[in-house]
Amino acid sequence: MVFSSIPFLFFFLPLCLILYYAVPYECFSIKSWKNMVLLVFSLAFYAWGEPVYILLMFFATAVDYCNGRLMERFGTTRGRRKFFLVCSVAVNLSVLAFFKYADFLIATLGGIFSIPLKPLGLGLPVGISFFTFQTMSYSIDLYRKEVPMERNYLNYLTYVSMFPQLVAGPIVRYSVVNEELRTRRIKKEEVREGLFRFMQGLFKKVLIANQAGALWEEIRMLEAGEASVATAWLGAAAFTLQLYFDFSAYSDMAIGMGKMLGFHFPENFKYPLSAISVTDFWRRWHISLSTWFRDYVYIPLGGNRKGTARHLRNMLVVWFLTGLWHGASWNFVLWGLYYGALLALEKYVWGKALDALPKIVRHCYLLLIVVVGFVIFVFDDMGALGIYFRSMAGMAGNRLWGGECLWYLENYMAVLLAAAVLSFPVYPWVKNRIGRMGDKGRTAASAVSMAGYILLFLVTVAFLVNDTYNPFLYFRF
Amino acid sequence: MEERPVWENRIKKATALLLAGMVLLLAALFFIMDKKEFSENENRYLAKFPSMSLEGIKSGEYMSGLESYLADHFPFRDFFMGIKTKAEMYAGKKKINGIYIAEDGYLIEAYEKPENTERIGQILGSFAKELEGQDVDLCLMLVPTAIYVYGEKLPGRAPVRNQMETAEIVYSLSGIRAVDCSKDLFAYKEKGELYYKTDHHWTTLGAYAGYTAYCREMGLDAVALEEMEAQTVTEDFRGTVYSKAGDYGREGDAITIYRNPADKLTVEYADTGETSNSLYNLEYVDEKDKYSLFLDNLHSLIEITNENADSDRELVLVKDSYANSMVPFLVHHYEKIYVFDTRYYKQGVSAFIKEHPEVTDVLLLYNMNTLDNDLGIRGVY
Repeated sequence: MVFSSIPFLFFFLPLCLILYYAVPYECFSIKSWKNMVLLVFSLAFYAWGEPVYILLMFFATAVDYCNGRLMERFGTTRGRRKFFLVCSVAVNLSVLAFFKYADFLIATLGGIFSIPLKPLGLGLPVGISFFTFQTMSYSIDLYRKEVPMERNYLNYLTYVSMFPQLVAGPIVRYSVVNEELRTRRIKKEEVREGLFRFMQGLFKKVLIANQAGALWEEIRMLEAGEASVATAWLGAAAFTLQLYFDFSAYSDMAIGMGKMLGFHFPENFKYPLSAISVTDFWRRWHISLSTWFRDYVYIPLGGNRKGTARHLRNMLVVWFLTGLWHGASWNFVLWGLYYGALLALEKYVWGKALDALPKIVRHCYLLLIVVVGFVIFVFDDMGALGIYFRSMAGMAGNRLWGGECLWYLENYMAVLLAAAVLSFPVYPWVKNRIGRMGDKGRTAASAVSMAGYILLFLVTVAFLVNDTYNPFLYFRF
Repeated sequence: MEERPVWENRIKKATALLLAGMVLLLAALFFIMDKKEFSENENRYLAKFPSMSLEGIKSGEYMSGLESYLADHFPFRDFFMGIKTKAEMYAGKKKINGIYIAEDGYLIEAYEKPENTERIGQILGSFAKELEGQDVDLCLMLVPTAIYVYGEKLPGRAPVRNQMETAEIVYSLSGIRAVDCSKDLFAYKEKGELYYKTDHHWTTLGAYAGYTAYCREMGLDAVALEEMEAQTVTEDFRGTVYSKAGDYGREGDAITIYRNPADKLTVEYADTGETSNSLYNLEYVDEKDKYSLFLDNLHSLIEITNENADSDRELVLVKDSYANSMVPFLVHHYEKIYVFDTRYYKQGVSAFIKEHPEVTDVLLLYNMNTLDNDLGIRGVY
């Protein structure tokens, strides 16, 4: 069940919220009925898409919960605590390796030694990369004594399975929500803000991401020679917009639903396409993942504090893993290493020179890198990737420019324009301006925004009812 | 902190309440409103409530069934589908749900990249091989759709694949004698509309153009259109393409049917056992899918006898729905026509031909869109 679907929007979410608001926190000395409601709905949500693999989630959370209790009970020395930490991380990584990477490993080994190995053919449990990273954050933070132990397994399971962030992030760490898991205040104003945030995410997903995606699908279907260079670049740009709007829309919806439930999830995207360097981009793109790798891999490895050689090694490790996290395929690894290399180059080679350039040039430089990067990201078949790159470089016997490019531009102009504008922090800027206006201006602005919400909601529902292209892009994560 | 103006606050509250209210209202209406079984507008049966089973839940089939059920019976579904199309048109889209919004009121179905050309060529080739040694004239007629004949009506710069290039590949792969009606269709363009503006089928005039191509190829004397009785049976036919595009409020098409007063026909529907003396079932005029009036929509096998035919030849016609409006012209030349729809006839047409030595001609007729995406043709072999 994706958030942007009729069953979720009209049945699952309203039912969940109504029950959630109706039950009290505490009654008959059971603490937090609200958590129970949230847990039951979260499990139903996961089981809806993965009826069998829900057992896997029970297993993974039970291991980490028990590990945590054992660590507190017997972890009197640093060494002992480390033992439990290693156990927890080992179990999580094994689960991840087995369900996500086994077939990839088998295919790679089979390819290297040219032996015919049979793939296991296991379906990838949705959201596995998100929830294993979450439970690991608990174990590591507990080891570091940065969070208290969780005594209640159901609370812990509620944290990991919480449906707003379960399948597409943000990766919420235990340390961020552990207090809110016990006590939180649901404020009317925040519920309202959460609803608006959710709606913004929904509009972004349905009206922009899906449409940009449809354009990308049309262009990728073209034969190598049919697409002019301009069209190939348009396609790559369309995919970039699709991925950004889709992914950030999921985060918007998650953050919005979190607010409606009384939780405060961290921001995951801060207008990454408006960045002016690769370093800047990664401070704005999928923040919860990059900070996870920074805090739990990069810094423990020594970060940049132990000389250039160690720093480069650490970057290699982190970006290899970041790439691999996105999917069990070499193109994702390549994509990660591509960014690792570029970050190293910015740090050690052209970073200073780049800073001296005008902002607009730096911005173009970044966009070029990002668009090319997402072409690597989207093709898990290296052959197809090569063909598409040749198309973009005009080496596929294609022309520089063709009428078909104009046709796509005409058909998708509105979506592309809206996407381009919303890739920059225009919305906060407008909001800020309105906030400084007088009473009349603000009243008028809120009336306009009301009309906008209602209209966009109706159009979004129309697109959902018509059930066209509405993909879930993160089934490989 | 500065206090927000009262009205701004009130409007924000109202917005949130309205949004939540709309969600709840639509959800409530879903339970209250009557569920339709069949969508007239989309011309298809809507999803049924899935039956619950452990297997279905384990595989996730039950859940996806439930999701389609919810989407199919959503309140005001047709209204919302219309909104979507309007929104896309305002945004400058000229191809909506796979339909081009073309000139002169035409809605023209896109021709997507053919995926099965080789397979279809091979299947047809095997069919031809089966019939080797039989004394029959075998022909293949691949009819272009509106996108080919009315290419000039498409919105400018729309990238279009050439259907007849694909047809050539199928002709040569199958090795069957080709009846190319594309030039005849072009020649008939001045005489009237060859395709419905709101449906994916050709009009009876288009079918007549196809018929003249067949007569030329087979050396038959085509009956002149003037010799036949024309009757306009409806003027508000809004067909499949109309529903698919969702741009409601367009005018409908007229359907003109032709009868040859010289013919004396018996039409037997082998699957239902019904018999009629007409090629048309005019009850369909009052329904949404009016094209079904030709040969009573879908039947696996229809046997048509003409006592006043101009020869004693017999024809096996293997076809999709395009042929249904061409049969009224063909009947004059054959004492008997066996009409097969291989999506439903599963006993093998070649076996049937072998069992009926009196069959002299075999015509395979498909339109270029159905050919690729409806694999009913597999049943031919």
